[in-house]
Amino acid sequence: MPALLTVDNITQAFPLKNGGTYVALKDIFLQIAEGEFVTLIGHSGCGKSTLLDLLAGLTLASEGGILMNGQEVTEPGPDRMVVFQNYSLLPWKTVRQNIALAVDNVMPKLAKAERREIVERNIKLVKLTPAADKYPAEISGGMKQRVAIARALAIRPKLLLLDEPFGALDALTRGNLQTQLMEICQEAKVTAVMVTHDVDEALLLSDRVVMLTNGPEAYIGQILDVPLARPRSQLTAVEDPTYYGLRAEVVTFLNQQRDARQQRLKPKGAVACGALEKVNLEIGFVPLTDCAPLVMALEGGFFARHGLDQVRLRRETNWKTLEANLRQGVVDAAQMVAGLPFAMTLGSQGRSPVPITSALTLTRNGNAITLHRRFHEAGVRTVADLKAWISANPGHRPVLAMVHPASMHNLMLRAWLASAGIDPTSDVELIVIPPAQMVATLKAGTIDGFCVGEPWNSRAVQEGHGTVIATDTDLWDGHAEKVLGVREDWAAAHPYTHQALLCALLEACRYCEDPANRQELAELLARPDYVGTRADVLLPGLAQAYDRGTGVPTLIPGYNRFFGPGVNAPDRAEATWILTQLARWNVCSFPRNWEEVLDRVQRPDLFGEAAASLGLAPEPPHTTASPKGFFGAEQLDPCDPAAYVQALQQEPPLRIEAVVLPPPPSRRPVAAT
Amino acid sequence: MQTLSSTAASATRTTGAYLEIDGVTKVYPSARGAHTVLDGVDLSVAEGEFVCLIGHSGCGKSTLLDMVSGFRQPTTGEVRLNGERIIDPGPDRMVVFQNYSLLPWLSAYDNIALAVNNVFPELQRNGQAKAIVEEHLAMVGLSEAAHKKPGSLSGGMKQRVSIARALALKPKVLLLDEPFGALDPITREELQEELLKIWADHRVTVLMITHDIDEALFLADRVVMMTNGPAATIGEVLELPFARPRVRARLLEQPEYFDLRNRALDFLYRRYAHDDE
Repeated sequence: MPALLTVDNITQAFPLKNGGTYVALKDIFLQIAEGEFVTLIGHSGCGKSTLLDLLAGLTLASEGGILMNGQEVTEPGPDRMVVFQNYSLLPWKTVRQNIALAVDNVMPKLAKAERREIVERNIKLVKLTPAADKYPAEISGGMKQRVAIARALAIRPKLLLLDEPFGALDALTRGNLQTQLMEICQEAKVTAVMVTHDVDEALLLSDRVVMLTNGPEAYIGQILDVPLARPRSQLTAVEDPTYYGLRAEVVTFLNQQRDARQQRLKPKGAVACGALEKVNLEIGFVPLTDCAPLVMALEGGFFARHGLDQVRLRRETNWKTLEANLRQGVVDAAQMVAGLPFAMTLGSQGRSPVPITSALTLTRNGNAITLHRRFHEAGVRTVADLKAWISANPGHRPVLAMVHPASMHNLMLRAWLASAGIDPTSDVELIVIPPAQMVATLKAGTIDGFCVGEPWNSRAVQEGHGTVIATDTDLWDGHAEKVLGVREDWAAAHPYTHQALLCALLEACRYCEDPANRQELAELLARPDYVGTRADVLLPGLAQAYDRGTGVPTLIPGYNRFFGPGVNAPDRAEATWILTQLARWNVCSFPRNWEEVLDRVQRPDLFGEAAASLGLAPEPPHTTASPKGFFGAEQLDPCDPAAYVQALQQEPPLRIEAVVLPPPPSRRPVAAT
Repeated sequence: MQTLSSTAASATRTTGAYLEIDGVTKVYPSARGAHTVLDGVDLSVAEGEFVCLIGHSGCGKSTLLDMVSGFRQPTTGEVRLNGERIIDPGPDRMVVFQNYSLLPWLSAYDNIALAVNNVFPELQRNGQAKAIVEEHLAMVGLSEAAHKKPGSLSGGMKQRVSIARALALKPKVLLLDEPFGALDPITREELQEELLKIWADHRVTVLMITHDIDEALFLADRVVMMTNGPAATIGEVLELPFARPRVRARLLEQPEYFDLRNRALDFLYRRYAHDDE
């Protein structure tokens, strides 16, 4: 769709009384298509209203400019109407007269009857015909704002600009007006840009939510597409399984901005100690059974033993937030789904590449695929049965959820589906939702199944909502699941701290692996600071027989693997599988320079140093590929992954391109300790 | 998630009714005949309980609050506190309004002191009033702003002064009429958190009006949802099973949170949808 409006690299600065300048907005680029509804959200002082004023032509940008239909916006005009929070109605004129005044002024050449007809039509559009002869003081705040909207629309603007139009109204009245505004915009086919700080309002109304960072020098921090079906209502929106995930993204962004502001006010510096460059580490994790090594390293004193005595574990409910925090340096290190270091390094989904270093695999296995109980009741026992079910029920496209596009959950779920001839892109719908919301969403009936780590499969089974159709030990026993990731520049700047971190976590992994410690582990993980659930939900698979909900629970040796030969070292062959599958499912394009990417991301050398300093035997070179080949990619030769990618018959054909990585930071050599 | 525990939630209340709203109906005469605002409202609030009232404008929430504060009297039925019928306003039931209601020419300290001296003249005489005012300013983190006048305080700070003033009178019931409605979202969340802390420390019974579902779910033990007026009444009561102390981020992870939120939305936007004409 052609852009109606282009905000072309705008910077807006204001002179200060003391002679300096205040840069409110910096390098804003935004295109808005005709008919689109876009909201601008951010904290006070983020420049949202400044941007709206620029769109209205009320002020001119210091640098850059705005094009509307190819014309530069230099002054206010009737093609761009603004609705303010305070209504701005003339109190001595009735509803009808307020609207007529605008129409008469802007369209003096129209016949009187025609102008009157426009006024009446717009009064009707906002459902105010019965109140047309009332004065502003006689009607409610919500009605006043509808008059203001009718007045703006009556002069047929191409662009409707709304500056917190419902900010003065209570939350419930706001809800009614939001619904009406949506109907009006749809009917009038108008493009709208709205400033708000209400997250639910933004999601309900928008096609896209543009999130602005804090000023000064505010810029667009993130743009969220809101793919909820229209027409929408408050209720249909929240009933969509993706709603609370989308909401969490905006809330998280706003919280991060708030934290960033507080941090700027009182910045936390690095606390160095001896050779360690930094001992006050923030480490991100997602509450799942396999965050165990991080929890154990803290609670069991392994961090402290290696000098890291000020570690704080930062709990994130979803992987996207964790990713954003590592990207922005809010955390020093993070537990990651195995594909994430590669996706971040390659810069997937429109984000700029941030090279990530991973020198330690924290866990292997630990996932399962759960389907709603009704599939088991309908006789679905295997992926082939699922294929048959889909063929037999053409009107019912199953919705399956996973936790992140770069997670093993996504890659293995897709490969599992594809192995039976189920097309993961057309035969089912795959959506991303945070792990902790899986069970509730399954229960609500808005998804049909999911692939996730524990305790969420066990929880679904225990509550009777689902049954486990496959565990990952059935599919690919021993695959890497969670890894430790740090930014490459962080690793270069903190070599001793990084080594200490690797040593502490490796020791914690060894502790977690011991069956004698598993009960203690479950009790620790159950605490609200960590997974926050009952210990007995954590035990299946970890310390007890695994219950699939379909018969007698069975022991699955190695369902959660934390330590052992070939468990913790970064595995190059496995990484080639990940790179090929990220390309296969269009998460990232395949890098022609894949060897460089692997060399940059995976650091078996750093792992080797840590293992040696703990007195562990060196790892033999090995591969986790099973004798029959890689899961779902049997023909993959890890020495020539490009050949495999080229051979995949896919439409459109997969892209293989050289990915330009930022130059590596200079590394400080680590002296032997 | 299993962090919920009904025992933790119910431990905050003692058994038995403390504040009783018993068959309350409020009718106003009007030119077009009698106008019934509230019709047969029954609600028992336990001592130390935190109850939020939510409903569309015009549902009579504020009228109901006025009958608890004693500013208005029910047409039929009665409101009792600790078994005693409420017939007039009193310092055992303090109200905090959205607009702060501070005297603009007095400092934060003097606004609170004025109320304390009025209600407890004996404390003023024996010199203990000062300590009480200072204690309550400290409670809301305003010790350093004690001598500022409302005009130089932010909205959030003004509302802190109002809350400190109300609690300095040691009320049995704190009545809050949309206290945070005029604040920006960040300040609102900060004050909600402070209010919960104060409530837990003071063991005061709270009845609060709000339009914000998330606010109600974060704060309350029970959310009382009102039907639309005229002749409004209690439509549904949500019991919130969330353990305390509550952490907002943790609350948002609980599937039950979204179930309850959707139920409130369903009540307010589907079953009792409301047009503002």
